[in-house]
Amino acid sequence: MNYKPDEGTLMAYLYGELDAAETERVEQYLQQHPQVQEQLHQLSTVRKRMGALNDVEVIAPPVFVDHEQRSIPFWKEGYFKITMGIAASFLFLLIAARLIGPEVTYSNGELRISFNDTPKKTTQEQLLTTNEVQQMINSSLVKNNETIAANWEESNQKIQESLQRNLNTNSARIDKLVSGVSAASQDQVRTFVAGMQEENLKLMKDYFQLSAKDQQVYVENLLVDFTKYLHEQRKQDLMLFQTRMNSIEKNTDQFKQETEQILASIISNPEGTIRKVNNY
Amino acid sequence: MHSDALLERARQGDKNAQGKLVQLWYKRIYNFSYKFFFDHDLAMEVSQKTFISMHRNLIGLQDVARFKSWLYTIAVNYCREELRKRKTTRSVSLNDFPAGEDEVSYRWETSSGRSDNPEKQFRHTELSDLLQQCLMELSAEQREVVIMKEYEGLKFREIADALQVSENTVKSRMYYGLDGLKKILEKKNITKEALGYEL
Repeated sequence: MNYKPDEGTLMAYLYGELDAAETERVEQYLQQHPQVQEQLHQLSTVRKRMGALNDVEVIAPPVFVDHEQRSIPFWKEGYFKITMGIAASFLFLLIAARLIGPEVTYSNGELRISFNDTPKKTTQEQLLTTNEVQQMINSSLVKNNETIAANWEESNQKIQESLQRNLNTNSARIDKLVSGVSAASQDQVRTFVAGMQEENLKLMKDYFQLSAKDQQVYVENLLVDFTKYLHEQRKQDLMLFQTRMNSIEKNTDQFKQETEQILASIISNPEGTIRKVNNY
Repeated sequence: MHSDALLERARQGDKNAQGKLVQLWYKRIYNFSYKFFFDHDLAMEVSQKTFISMHRNLIGLQDVARFKSWLYTIAVNYCREELRKRKTTRSVSLNDFPAGEDEVSYRWETSSGRSDNPEKQFRHTELSDLLQQCLMELSAEQREVVIMKEYEGLKFREIADALQVSENTVKSRMYYGLDGLKKILEKKNITKEALGYEL
């Protein structure tokens, strides 16, 4: 017998959800396999232990449900409002178009909605080719260049004339002014030079007078100072000389006294002196 | 739990019938969500959303026999949605902490009425929190199957219908869920004797 109940079958057996035949087969298997029976017994024990966890008592609170939501009329629904809004816009557009006079045309893949007369298409635009456009541009450019050249020539001429006229006028004025200035300047120069000479002479005279007086005073002072210096120098020299003379005189007197003392001693004791000389 | 006639009336827009359905199923959906999150606020939010969705979509339910699994499908979807939000925001609910005897605990708002003995009631609360923490250690997929089977009493076929997976997948998740719980209980040393003492 190769029957072996799987985990699911064992669970169904544990909770009594197997039919009678299957239950019997499992029980026979469990009798032959006590280790599985023990395992199942342990799971049954777990169930008993976990069974101690009881329910929590609770009072059902009132549950409010928005019943009115179901009875919302369709015209208050969002999508209906949007659709009606778009439809109303189109209707308004159509009425306005009807009143003003609409023109709706479709041609060449172009839709035109206009409320006045349809603008007549200028066929000229369609007939123009690239070369024609280029020619038009070229001719326009040539005309434009010519106009610009003519204007430039005219302007240039006017400027030249104006310059010449101004130059002549200014030259005449300058010549007049220069001649006036040159005529007037000779007498003025003479007067100015004479004035200058007189003034210089006067200045030189004053300068020499002042400088001669100052030099005289300076030289006098210099002579006096030099005289004083010489006098002082002579005085000092004389004093030095006097001092030297005094010193010599003093030495001479001292020498004279010593000589006298020696002579006196020699005279007073001539023998002793001779003896001493002989000892030497 | 409910009659087909009540469901039919609710489908046809009978507000009283819809209210009656809420009264009948609110505790179940709340407890499923509470065991899934171990969080009162999240469980309340999921329950509210589930019944609002039920009101709006009941008219579209073709087979009234599928109402139970259909209702749990809605609840599971909202649970998964909240779980995704929690993973994204990584927020921490104040109710994640053990409620205990705190004065502001929501447990004061609920009336268990199971025992007049406060000490016994306290021990039971502690045990419930401990077992709930074991449940929270399972993966979300295993947890939702275990809760539906063990605490909500759905058949494997109904769970498969609610989760929109095969019946074998549900049984497999259940097997590994129970096996996982066995290991968790052993790890936390929650033995028969300990349970006996607590109870």
